[in-house]
Amino acid sequence: MPVRHVQIWLDGTPHQVPETLTVAAAVLQLRGWQGYRRHVDGSPRAPLCMMGVCQECLITIDGRANRQGCLEPVAEGMRIERQGGSVHDA
Amino acid sequence: MAQRDFLIVGGGVVGMAVAYGLARAGLSVTVLDESDDALRASRGNAGLVWVQGKGVGMPRYAELSFEAAKAWADFARELTERTGIDLEYEQRGGVDLCLDAEEARSRQQEYTTLQNASSFLTQEFRWEYLDRKALTPYLPGLGEAVQGGTWSPHDGQCNPLYLLRALYAASHSLGVDTHPASAVERLEATASGFRATTPRGHFEADRVILAAGLGARTLAPMLGLSDAVHPVRGQVLVTERRPPGARLPTPQIRQTASGGYLIGDTHEDAGLDKGVTLAMMQTLADKAVRIYPDLGEARLVRSWGALRVMTPDGNPLYEASTTHPGAYNINCHSGITLAAFHAGGLSDAIRDDRLAQSFPQFSGARFHVPAT
Amino acid sequence: MMPDVCATDIAIIGAGPAGMAAAVRLAKVGHRPVVFDMNATPGGQIYRQLSELQVSEAVMGKDYARGRELIDAFQRADIDYRPGTRVWWADNDALGTSLGVLEKGQTQHWQARQLILAGGAMERGWPFRGWQLPGVMNAGAAQILLKQGALVPATPPVLAGTGPLLYLLAWQYLRAGIPPSLILDTAPATRYGEVVRQSRRAWFARSYLFKGARMIGALKRAGVPIHQGITTLEAQGDKAVESIGYRHRGQWKTHSTELLLTHFGVTPEPQLARSLGLTHHWHASQQSFVPQRDDTLAVGANLWIAGDGGGIGGAINAEREGQLAALAVLDKIGQGDPEWQRERHALLKARRRDLEARSLLESMFRLPEAWLDDQPEETLVCRCESVSRGELDRAIAQGGAGPNQLKAFTRCGMGPCQGRQCGESVTRLLARRLGWTPEAVGYYHIRPPVHSITLGELATKE
Repeated sequence: MPVRHVQIWLDGTPHQVPETLTVAAAVLQLRGWQGYRRHVDGSPRAPLCMMGVCQECLITIDGRANRQGCLEPVAEGMRIERQGGSVHDA
Repeated sequence: MAQRDFLIVGGGVVGMAVAYGLARAGLSVTVLDESDDALRASRGNAGLVWVQGKGVGMPRYAELSFEAAKAWADFARELTERTGIDLEYEQRGGVDLCLDAEEARSRQQEYTTLQNASSFLTQEFRWEYLDRKALTPYLPGLGEAVQGGTWSPHDGQCNPLYLLRALYAASHSLGVDTHPASAVERLEATASGFRATTPRGHFEADRVILAAGLGARTLAPMLGLSDAVHPVRGQVLVTERRPPGARLPTPQIRQTASGGYLIGDTHEDAGLDKGVTLAMMQTLADKAVRIYPDLGEARLVRSWGALRVMTPDGNPLYEASTTHPGAYNINCHSGITLAAFHAGGLSDAIRDDRLAQSFPQFSGARFHVPAT
Repeated sequence: MMPDVCATDIAIIGAGPAGMAAAVRLAKVGHRPVVFDMNATPGGQIYRQLSELQVSEAVMGKDYARGRELIDAFQRADIDYRPGTRVWWADNDALGTSLGVLEKGQTQHWQARQLILAGGAMERGWPFRGWQLPGVMNAGAAQILLKQGALVPATPPVLAGTGPLLYLLAWQYLRAGIPPSLILDTAPATRYGEVVRQSRRAWFARSYLFKGARMIGALKRAGVPIHQGITTLEAQGDKAVESIGYRHRGQWKTHSTELLLTHFGVTPEPQLARSLGLTHHWHASQQSFVPQRDDTLAVGANLWIAGDGGGIGGAINAEREGQLAALAVLDKIGQGDPEWQRERHALLKARRRDLEARSLLESMFRLPEAWLDDQPEETLVCRCESVSRGELDRAIAQGGAGPNQLKAFTRCGMGPCQGRQCGESVTRLLARRLGWTPEAVGYYHIRPPVHSITLGELATKE
């Protein structure tokens, strides 16, 4: 099952990922769930549902904060930043 | 068990403030409330503790608003001490924005007239019109399209939902019993007081206070009280939490203590429909982005419509029944600002049965002038 | 300034089995419905990524591949399919339903004379201590990763909860060479008695039961321990899951793992139906609210709900319901054909049997209604606003006597997920504390936006 790959930038580093992945899936594959996001109460959080329900996958995509990573497919040249440090991200 | 001193019809912020005030004075109180999906202006309002603009055409109302705003800090502290609930109250001043030159002109004229109408306000009411540039220190990031606004140091804000919760908690600790899902269907006098009929049975007390908001339209006439209230819908948008800013509250938009921006101040006649409309949501979004352009990136998380309880002149209704002594009607659209007064001076006047003597201007009789 | 309104005779929201089947059936008689869907490819959750397969049938099993035919038909038909769109607002109007649609950052205003909601289901939010920790994921989410890119965990996970999906995922991981280290089921072992007690239903459910037995047999042969009747569950760790704890036969046990995948059944995705003000009833067997539909799946004059969004019936049932809703729409617009009566009867009959079978599964995988009482009071019910069960109990005691009053008192349900994860937990908790039925307790008021939209996207940009 060959699949085309696209280049994305995750926290400033380039990676090749299959184009069928969503942003959240790509981040989980590349970095796992640790450091994915910091919740407004300060606790670490990571994607729960992967289907647009839980809002735990919020992430910065092309400079726009709090995008739902599980609904956005990766795209060539996309810049993704995890929100591990911010406390006002939800 | 001895009959209770008071029945209060309505478990919103008006009814609960009076319940708290009376219970604090040692009286026994039963509150009858509607179901969870009732109209509930108390859960839909913006949470301003606000005086500027209040009382145009009725200076006595402006004075009451001032007294309430002054009493708010102690009132909030007292409720927090009793319940542990932080009301998120602060009084740093507020700004009522003017989006164009015409609004700026008429606003200044209105406030000047208001101030000159009462010696109390001439002395007490401090306000100033500031243009966009002068407003910027108070409202950092203010958009280019805003003309200016009236600033006043008396204005403030709170979390109206936590106020409601604290009033419930404090009232319960003072022995008030509240009955949810007990919408009153009938009110009548008995040999020793009053009886309310609900789907969950009858309740009786020596005296009865109607704090039923729009429910007064059916209930008030049963006791010879005024039904002159009508709904005015307001729609509200709330954004996700944003980093805290030092921006003063405005009736158009304010940042809550939890970080979300609350956007509102619309006025519509929509009957009893408390829904939201696409057109009005877009109008509110336009306005929010004009006021604070950085909010263009903010995600909307909630919206709602709520029905203000309005009298014909917009001023509160405080009256004692002349046909049914011991029955009172308390109704207003500013239950947050006035909460400190409702729990204080107003409750005292009801306790002593001197409502008509102390607040004659607020009787419903003003709306029921016999036709000539 | 209002944006121009786009009009359509028939719109469908959702391109899962129900939405695809409805669209295909309508296209067959010459209609060109508009289909809005959040995802980039058709299939919904169940047939996700099947149009560009990433993982082998040997791992996924036959049920996944079965969707191929429907997806092919959907892709061949002349349908105005709009992937990557979000219907964030809907309202009844004189002509049908108005829709606010977000597509590539732009809000469009649509007007649909006839509308089929086929928004499907979501995994039930089911609180336990630590479920907010990274390293806890829904089993469905894990399956989505499998479908999207054949992604599997690096170390063996623990699977906990109950329901067919839990065992399906466990079996798929076994096939993929990474069997779970432990399976914890909240349903008691005595549930197999239901098969005997409900033998007629068991007959209708025989294919589900055989499949389940085969999977469980394979897992047992592979040495995967399965504990049934778990009453308390906990994810433990500082920044992420390091271990889990659970109560089994009254004994507290712990187990090391980095990944806990949970599944507590699925419920209809409620937001759009709720925001339209549709009547809902508590479904005692599905342990969830479902919208009230009539025999034609109608929920309003020009409005239908097909598939799991109307009550959980599974993928095959959803496909049938999509066809039924399409036929109902055609009847409604005066294009019905008496010849279709046979088709309709066959669909209805098959649907009845399937739902009978389903109710046996529901009783076998029944969730403990008292679950929240058995979890410690610091267990978060609302993840978005970090509201614990203990905090809710305090607010209930203070007068928070309904879901909306409780939301006002605590912020429970006010966060970005808009109560999807906590709504029914709150109803359930209030029902227990007040001694009312879940139906009498009710649910949150749901208002638009039902999907996230920024103020800039909403503003009209004069």
